[in-house]
Amino acid sequence: MYFKGINSYGDRGLVLDFGNETSKSISQEVNEAFLNISNLNLQSLNIIPSFNKIVVIFENSHIRDQNKDKINIKMNETKSKSNKKATKTWKIPACYDEDFALDIKIIQKLHQITKEEVINLHSSVRYYTYYIGFMPGFPYLGDVPSQLITPRLATPRVKIPARSIGIAKNHTCIYPKVSPGGWNIIGQIPFDIFDLQSSYPSLFLPSDEVKFYSVSLSEFQKIRKYNFSINELIKEYSS
Amino acid sequence: MNSIIITRAGTHSTIQDFGRFQYQHLGVSPSGAMDQRIITELQKIIPNHQNQFLEFAYVGPSIKVKEGSVKICVGGNCNMSIQKNNNSQLECQPYKSINLFEGDELIIHNTIDSVYGYIAFEHGLGLEPCLNSYSTDTKAGIGSINRPLNDEDIFHISKDVSSWDLISIPIPDLEKVTNFKVYPGPQLQYFSDNTLQSFISGVFTITNQSDRMGIRLKGESLISSKSHDILSEGILPGSIQVPSDGQPIVLMRDIPCTGGYPKIAILNEVDISRISQLPPETKITFDLQTIY
Repeated sequence: MYFKGINSYGDRGLVLDFGNETSKSISQEVNEAFLNISNLNLQSLNIIPSFNKIVVIFENSHIRDQNKDKINIKMNETKSKSNKKATKTWKIPACYDEDFALDIKIIQKLHQITKEEVINLHSSVRYYTYYIGFMPGFPYLGDVPSQLITPRLATPRVKIPARSIGIAKNHTCIYPKVSPGGWNIIGQIPFDIFDLQSSYPSLFLPSDEVKFYSVSLSEFQKIRKYNFSINELIKEYSS
Repeated sequence: MNSIIITRAGTHSTIQDFGRFQYQHLGVSPSGAMDQRIITELQKIIPNHQNQFLEFAYVGPSIKVKEGSVKICVGGNCNMSIQKNNNSQLECQPYKSINLFEGDELIIHNTIDSVYGYIAFEHGLGLEPCLNSYSTDTKAGIGSINRPLNDEDIFHISKDVSSWDLISIPIPDLEKVTNFKVYPGPQLQYFSDNTLQSFISGVFTITNQSDRMGIRLKGESLISSKSHDILSEGILPGSIQVPSDGQPIVLMRDIPCTGGYPKIAILNEVDISRISQLPPETKITFDLQTIY
């Protein structure tokens, strides 16, 4: 158990503290607690998990104080029994073609490996979804194999293409839409991962597992044309 | 059918409501009106506003009735007038309902000694919500309209004005506050007693690098004794974060969903509305509360 306790965040927020470290097992506990607290259907405005914290926001201090005990009781209850929730496992096509792999040479040079080795390493691991943040639908995935760990770009890029796959430190990500950013871009996926028309707008959710597989440029373009909806993507690429 | 056209968009004009909630764990910011006190007041005059308020900053929009008629009300401290169809000019005031007829144009010149103003429309603007809210987050491209308003934007209001009765409320006392009570932030202990003293006794100036995402302050440098780089965690509007240059930023409604800078303190909800109305160059101070 990593859970340390609940602290106040101003007059209307709470922070559930899981320490100062980050690891997959800490995140698993955070995300399990996130689901348990979400299922309490509290009068909260937002519940935000991250690497080792969960922030819960209420409309005012009165409602916050009324709900604090319910969270406390739930956290103590789940200390003893763990109820694993079925999360999705994704197999996501990734095109590492040079048109998309804008920064792959930086990683090759840093680790003295070939492009094929970068691709094989990146698509060899089943990544864990730590949390969704930074921009709508942006998944923090990890951990990448040690031979791929690479610092952020010294100068962030002004415009990263939508659907780009990036690596920064021990994490990998997908940019849902065009954005400035400092991750090393190594490829692109052929569909959108955030859809405002859907009531479940984000393809990935905290604690989903994601594995990439390499596809050719022509295969990438073929999938791109289908224009899958979120529901179709779930059927096609997750289990 | 009634319709209006934006004849001049003004600056930073967007559609806002009380905020978009339950999506921050998917990277979606709460957004919502910067000064929620004003739209709360406008509800009293236009109860059937459909949560589709028009927010503007500094320079207001001009709106002309294309077809039919509409009932609206303006909130905030603004200069404005009505150009009637017959070329006569009419005076008008905030917090009093206004009936506009075909060809009439409402011209909001500017906000006075403040930043944000609002317009409520009876029956709303005919918009569809996006993720359960009408608010626009221009950075994320989310909203019933996913961008700031442009000249020539047209809105159709299918329902007719319910009553021509003029309704008004006393001008609300939205007093200007420049000393803010703040509560300890989650990383208060990242700052030494000396630095906290500078935070409490120092005067900070609102800079012009301020927008719906955050208000950047200039003042004595608040350097952390630990680090200016923390693991990203959930943040809420009103938080005062301090990046490595030591110049604090008050996070506002279009907040990034998670942040990696230490937060020294946080404002209460009503003070987010209050601070949003302070124009650049305003000098402010903080008073740290120990309870909570």
